[in-house]
Amino acid sequence: MTDGRPISDYGLLGDTRTAALVGSDGAMDWLCVPRFDGDPLFGRLVGGRDAGTFRVGPARPATVVERRYRRHTATLETTWAVGGGRLRLTEAMVAEVSGRLLPTTLIVRRLSAEQAAVDAVVEFDPRLGVRHRRPRVHHRRQALVCEWGAVAVALDSTPAFRIEPGRPTSIRVQPGRPVTVVLAVAHHEPVIHVEPTAAWDVLMQDEARWRAWTAEIDERLPFREHVARSLLTLRLLTYSPSGAPVAAPTTSLPEDPGGERNWDYRYVWPRDASIGVSAFLSVGKAAEARGFLAWLLHASRLQRPRLPALLTLHGRRVPAERELPGWPGYLDSRPVRVGNDAAGQHQLDGYGWVVDAAWAFAQAGHRLPAETWRAVRGFADVVARCWQEPDAGIWEVRKPGQHVHSKLMGWLALDRALAIADTHPLSERQRRRWQESRDALAAEVRTRGFDEAAASYMRGYGSQDLDAALLVLPLLDMDRADSPRVRGTVDAIRDRLSAGGPLLYRYPPGQDGLPGTEGAFLPCSFWLVQALARTGRRGEAVELFQSMVDLASPLGLYAEELNPATGAHLGNYPQTLTHAALIQAALAIRDAPTPG
Amino acid sequence: MDWAGWALFGLVATAALTAAMITAQLAGLTRLDFPLVLGAFVAEDPDRARVFGFLLHLCIGQGFALGYAATFALLHRATWWIGAVLGIVHVGLALTVILPLLPGVHPRMASQRAGPASTAVLEPPGLFAVNYGIQTPVVTVVVHVVYGALLGLLLQPR
Repeated sequence: MTDGRPISDYGLLGDTRTAALVGSDGAMDWLCVPRFDGDPLFGRLVGGRDAGTFRVGPARPATVVERRYRRHTATLETTWAVGGGRLRLTEAMVAEVSGRLLPTTLIVRRLSAEQAAVDAVVEFDPRLGVRHRRPRVHHRRQALVCEWGAVAVALDSTPAFRIEPGRPTSIRVQPGRPVTVVLAVAHHEPVIHVEPTAAWDVLMQDEARWRAWTAEIDERLPFREHVARSLLTLRLLTYSPSGAPVAAPTTSLPEDPGGERNWDYRYVWPRDASIGVSAFLSVGKAAEARGFLAWLLHASRLQRPRLPALLTLHGRRVPAERELPGWPGYLDSRPVRVGNDAAGQHQLDGYGWVVDAAWAFAQAGHRLPAETWRAVRGFADVVARCWQEPDAGIWEVRKPGQHVHSKLMGWLALDRALAIADTHPLSERQRRRWQESRDALAAEVRTRGFDEAAASYMRGYGSQDLDAALLVLPLLDMDRADSPRVRGTVDAIRDRLSAGGPLLYRYPPGQDGLPGTEGAFLPCSFWLVQALARTGRRGEAVELFQSMVDLASPLGLYAEELNPATGAHLGNYPQTLTHAALIQAALAIRDAPTPG
Repeated sequence: MDWAGWALFGLVATAALTAAMITAQLAGLTRLDFPLVLGAFVAEDPDRARVFGFLLHLCIGQGFALGYAATFALLHRATWWIGAVLGIVHVGLALTVILPLLPGVHPRMASQRAGPASTAVLEPPGLFAVNYGIQTPVVTVVVHVVYGALLGLLLQPR
């Protein structure tokens, strides 16, 4: 178990293939291999004491005096005050290993002492998979090697000391004589040992690459440091071999602690990923956007023209949802699940996000390859044909309905597809069909989705509920951003879905057919920032953004939800959608006219 | 050896194999796209890559057809079923050796080792090319058996 440690206590280490979560005590309680959606090697976060951990830190309880990412890098630094001295853990995963004889996953953790010698401990207890399998253990030269058939890990250290899995090893760290521990993971290949000092040098080269990558972000961007951290987080969560951004690196971190709203997010939602594409494009990172579109094109081929709600990192069908027996869950939040049944849902809004991302790509001056355009045409055809059908919507509710947000996004898909068609080939018949559907869709939403009394668009046809996803309205151009309908909707959502301070519920709590409660939905607050900026209220947007920044984890990371009463982060962590929304909110503030 | 038959029927069999693969791809049975995978060696744009890839595929098909023709000449016999058996050997080699090794030489194919600096865009096929859809091995075996059987029918054993 995680001893009640808040989710926000964890920092993210990543190598763009998988990711680890490390607590402020130096415990790596989550790492799946060889990919984000692989088997957990350290699963204590949701798997209990038998699920494995890898702690490097002070031998006794100590006070954290500083915890931060080294500026514009993915390297995490934790400093504890211990007795008369200080102990610092500097750690990261090496992201760029292609073209060199290095393990695909390489984790480097270095302990250094200041002022006085400090007692530290290394607890290495790897267990693999659902059943927390113990490894076959060998000591080879100075390294410890643990094997489970196709997976093997090697632990090397400098200075060399003997480590036994599952048994804490005490070491004394002298000032000026750091201790470096290196974990190499092999999957279907031989273990590659890396001398720890050499591994540290490799890590420093990686740091330089991240700094260069971040330096390309516009210097004048408001909240640039927060945007840079979010961009880095998005990049760390993008699976390099396919270019697919994973929604989050974890499964079953609860939206309702102690409850059953625990889902597996280690997959790719084309919708969320498209928001990330637009974010990357807006800061000039076209390669990442191109990578995602290429992945989407390839991944969706087997289901085309239907767009699946979610896919695996390689574009395969997401496994059916199943529960892991014996896994206690984070804060007893059971069941712990792997797989995700939302994969089979019809979500009309997904088409809008994806076509909008393609449009943004084309807008940025890139011509869509013919095949991408063919795929986009297929998506638009589906929308033109199916927009009247009920769907599960952005919030993936179990019972399909006529969601206004889905219809708006359907409108967006057709509108943006028509805009792309201005510079790409399209038959006149197809153009006419899209135009007719788009206009019919707008007319229907305006009549059936708008409540005159509330002066707002509503969650569904005939519904009295609001939906915070409608905050995207000012971005769509279906109604003018300064129209009473748009402003009325934004104001109504802000007023009636408020969870206190800058926080919003995505819809009236408890309206999704599941037992238990949930927190405020963080992307919605950033969408509100964006909506305010787009509707000419820049000052309020800046103020709101600042309040949201104050709610981030100490390392600048966000989950999906937040408990409005306690400020605790809820749900899988860190969350791509929240970070993408943060970037887009900052960009909207940048683009909003300054009053005066 | 039947040189004239090799020159003509090699092309016919490769074109048939490619057409069958593309049909399977359009039917949503597989994502394996030989012209794209091969063409991406020389061109980044998928559309141009497919053109180059198709030509490359014809050349490679001719190369394999040479092996079939030589085998028929050695056996002094050419039948559709010997061709089909050779097709199975051929596809076995392709699925277990050639395709899994591609990420090592392909400039635009990812591998698990890809990092942020990677420019890879194509997903690696993996063993039996199952990364391109679970039915890919079946489709690939069928089209290669057709290729072999066609050559067995059309080539002469001299």
